[in-house]
Amino acid sequence: MSLQNLILNLQKFWADQGCYLAPTYDLEVGAGTMTPDTFFRVLGPRPWKVAYVQPSRRPTDGRYGENPNRVQKHHQFQVIVKPSPANIQAMYIDSLTALGIDLRDHDLKFDEDDWESPTIGAWGVGWSVMLDGLEITQFTYFQQAGGLDVFPIPAEITYGLERLEMFLEEKDNIYDLQWSDDVTYRDLHLKEERQFSEYNFVQATVKSLRESFALAEKEAGQLLGKGLFLPAYDMCLKCSHAFNLLDARGAISVTERVKMIAQIRTLVNQVALKFVEPEGRP
Amino acid sequence: MEFLLEINVEEMPSSHVRTALDDLKERLGRELAAAKIAVSSLSAWSTCRRLILIGDFAESQAVREGLVTGPPKSAAYAPDGSPTPAALGFARSKGIDVAQLEVVTTERGEYVGFRTVQQGKPTAEILAKAVPLAITSLSFPKMMRWGTGTLKFSRPVRNILCVFGGHSVRFEIDGLISGDTTTGHKIRDPRPIRAASIEDYKSALRDALVIVDPDERRRMILDQIAALLAPLGAALYPDAGLLRKLANDVEYPFVFLGSFPEDYLTLPIEILSTAMREGLKVFSVVRDGRQLPYFLGVADTRADAKGFIRKGNERVLKARLEDARFFWNQDIKTSLKKRAPALKHVLFQEKLGSYDDKAQRLKKIAAYLAKRNEGEKIAKDLGLAAELCKTDLVTDMVREFPSLQGKVGGLYARAEGLPDTVASAIYEHYLPQSLEDESPATLAGALLSIADKLDSIIGVVGVGIQTTGSSDPFGLRRNAQGVCKIVIDRKLGFSFPRLVDKVIAVYGDRLKRPKAEILDYVRDFFVGRLKYLHERRDIRYDLIGAGLGAGLENIYHVHLRIKALDALKASPQFEPFILMTKRVNNILAGQPACALNADLLVEKEERDLYSAFGIVKENVGPLISHGDFAQAQKIVFRLQPALNVFFEKVLVMAKEAPVRKNRLALLQAIRKILLQMADYSQVVVEGEKPGAGR
Repeated sequence: MSLQNLILNLQKFWADQGCYLAPTYDLEVGAGTMTPDTFFRVLGPRPWKVAYVQPSRRPTDGRYGENPNRVQKHHQFQVIVKPSPANIQAMYIDSLTALGIDLRDHDLKFDEDDWESPTIGAWGVGWSVMLDGLEITQFTYFQQAGGLDVFPIPAEITYGLERLEMFLEEKDNIYDLQWSDDVTYRDLHLKEERQFSEYNFVQATVKSLRESFALAEKEAGQLLGKGLFLPAYDMCLKCSHAFNLLDARGAISVTERVKMIAQIRTLVNQVALKFVEPEGRP
Repeated sequence: MEFLLEINVEEMPSSHVRTALDDLKERLGRELAAAKIAVSSLSAWSTCRRLILIGDFAESQAVREGLVTGPPKSAAYAPDGSPTPAALGFARSKGIDVAQLEVVTTERGEYVGFRTVQQGKPTAEILAKAVPLAITSLSFPKMMRWGTGTLKFSRPVRNILCVFGGHSVRFEIDGLISGDTTTGHKIRDPRPIRAASIEDYKSALRDALVIVDPDERRRMILDQIAALLAPLGAALYPDAGLLRKLANDVEYPFVFLGSFPEDYLTLPIEILSTAMREGLKVFSVVRDGRQLPYFLGVADTRADAKGFIRKGNERVLKARLEDARFFWNQDIKTSLKKRAPALKHVLFQEKLGSYDDKAQRLKKIAAYLAKRNEGEKIAKDLGLAAELCKTDLVTDMVREFPSLQGKVGGLYARAEGLPDTVASAIYEHYLPQSLEDESPATLAGALLSIADKLDSIIGVVGVGIQTTGSSDPFGLRRNAQGVCKIVIDRKLGFSFPRLVDKVIAVYGDRLKRPKAEILDYVRDFFVGRLKYLHERRDIRYDLIGAGLGAGLENIYHVHLRIKALDALKASPQFEPFILMTKRVNNILAGQPACALNADLLVEKEERDLYSAFGIVKENVGPLISHGDFAQAQKIVFRLQPALNVFFEKVLVMAKEAPVRKNRLALLQAIRKILLQMADYSQVVVEGEKPGAGR
């Protein structure tokens, strides 16, 4: 099965469970959790079910295309089901079966791993799902987002698509994966990994990044003042990406790191408060 | 009657499972005791998906018999034996027939009254209230909610089975109704299972690939491991924590042996085993302390017929080892010395500065310690180790495997050809990580470890961060215990208050708290840790108190004092001697210090005591300074007969002030010697309350 078939299968499976399929969000994010389709859906009382593919950028994970497992941009398949139904784990297990994995021949473990994102003031309780020792999914019951308690409680299922595909194809090298029958991961991403590693670690201009951060932060504040929390949230995402790049450039000291994360979190918290205002706080 | 409770949950961490079971047992036991229900047994089983209690309780509350008394017999019956109005009135008020009254003999004499028998409530009825209460009042270090429910728990609760005497006990928790069914292995055999008895439950679950008894799973794991290792002549790299975790995390353990390419064996064993343990949660395999290219994993299944599980794990491990090798090769391109400046950017604590600041302090503290612990020969190497010991914090390897801090630095130091003393000291300077862990094997490692730990403790205390109850963010307790353990293991006899002084001085004006306050806090903190450390060795608390009561000048001597008391406590002279010391203390209570003048000693008994004291003092002095408290103690016992006769024949509180003061002075001199050994007033003697005298 190719990576694109994996995506199609997961989309079909979760659409059948009632999820709306969101398009990929058009800003750089570190994880599928950060896009509005998760961040705003988990807040407030309204039930939601959503699934989508999200390319996720982690500049520090760049390895110039030389490491067979690590890349500075990978792809997540993100699922939110709110409220989490009693059989959510069984649904997840069924999704693996639907991919043709015969679990009778494999070892599936839910390994304690509580998730936390200080930048967006979010945390949850859950597991890394390990399939024959390979971490293929992060499974989390959201407890807080934007610094606010969430209720009802959503289940978040984040599949690491490359990991899962390496399992399915029994490949040791990410670049050997088939994206489609005649296009490999190498064809699509090797140059990208090389060039972006060089950009992330060496070429990105620290001064401009700091300016971008400051501009986006200022813009977010102004937008919040006008009640425009959706564009304000986009500005928070821009801050977060600038921060990640600065981090990869080694330009952030420990104290500065704490300060910048707190700056973003404060904005995100205000966004969350604005969002729940009309819907009523949980 | 049999009691069976299974709380079916989504996978819980092993630490939560343990505390939840202890709490559940305790809470339910308490409720049953309060309800007067006899409990023959109550114990627990568990998997990561099930909290299980099994027990044997009485069918109902005990029958309660009572006695209600009325008027005295004399007032209740007329001389002809007929009931008086008093008796009739009493019977009426209690709603019984007067003929049911009988004569009962009480402490106050004979009265009329009647006996009552109250049938107990059925246990099932009590359980239906007590069990849900026990479950909902459980608390965990981190609690969560799920779905639309209101219950907070460690992980979502999905089913509750509760059976007593073959019948289900019904109750409701957060919309979940208890019953008598559960399900088999979630992935292998999730069929519903009805359980009327404990035996049924256990065997039906076994058929459905769940072993409910964690000890049995542990044995299965160890047996399978032994069977796989025997042909290789190999052993397991011991890891009790991982074994506990895996025995919790699987319901049906299957151990498989995997391998990895031999060329990764060039990596040190510490890195290999950590990549296996932390990355993959598998055991590494060794022979004669050398890593073999194998590992052992525990899967949650019965077999790996197609080898998928083994192959999958091998692939993941290979990727991890490839990463580790990449880090190793990258890291050793830069020497530790070249890395040192980067520590300026790594924060130790906001108010205490960077790790570079810490390294500079450690150099000074280590130099001080070397001078006072016969470490002149290693002083130079120790200084270099202090300077470099934190540099591995800026290596990729430690970023990947933070638990290897220190060890990685030591390995890199060796790889780049630094002297052995330097490499070992860096390698060992986080040891011991716990009281079960080994202390550093080298003197340089020991001194650097003490310097590092004390620097952290005094710094954190000195900027006013409190360590209370569960809040110990800098691990100060573990650090202090580590210092004590090293001192005891290596028999280091330096002055503790002076070392604390030195560290405070090295910090300079970074510490905002007054010096006296820091000293007090640190002393109390160490007293607490030394108590804990000795209580773990099953030494009586009062002996520990007595040993600590002699002061914290020298931590090693505190330990020796306590050990001496513990060794001598069974000696026949011990208790009489303690009583005698208490007598001395009592008579001296509230007396001002007096000067001793030997010429004023007139009575034979007091002169005898004085000469005995002289001999004891002379002999004991050197023993105390060498820390031989057991021998010193035995010699001090010899004062006992002279003191006995003294108290018998001599009136201490003589009328003439000079004589009285002189006798008090003699006793004060004796007490001074005694206090160098222990604060005997804290020792509890049979039939005595702590601290009370005669």
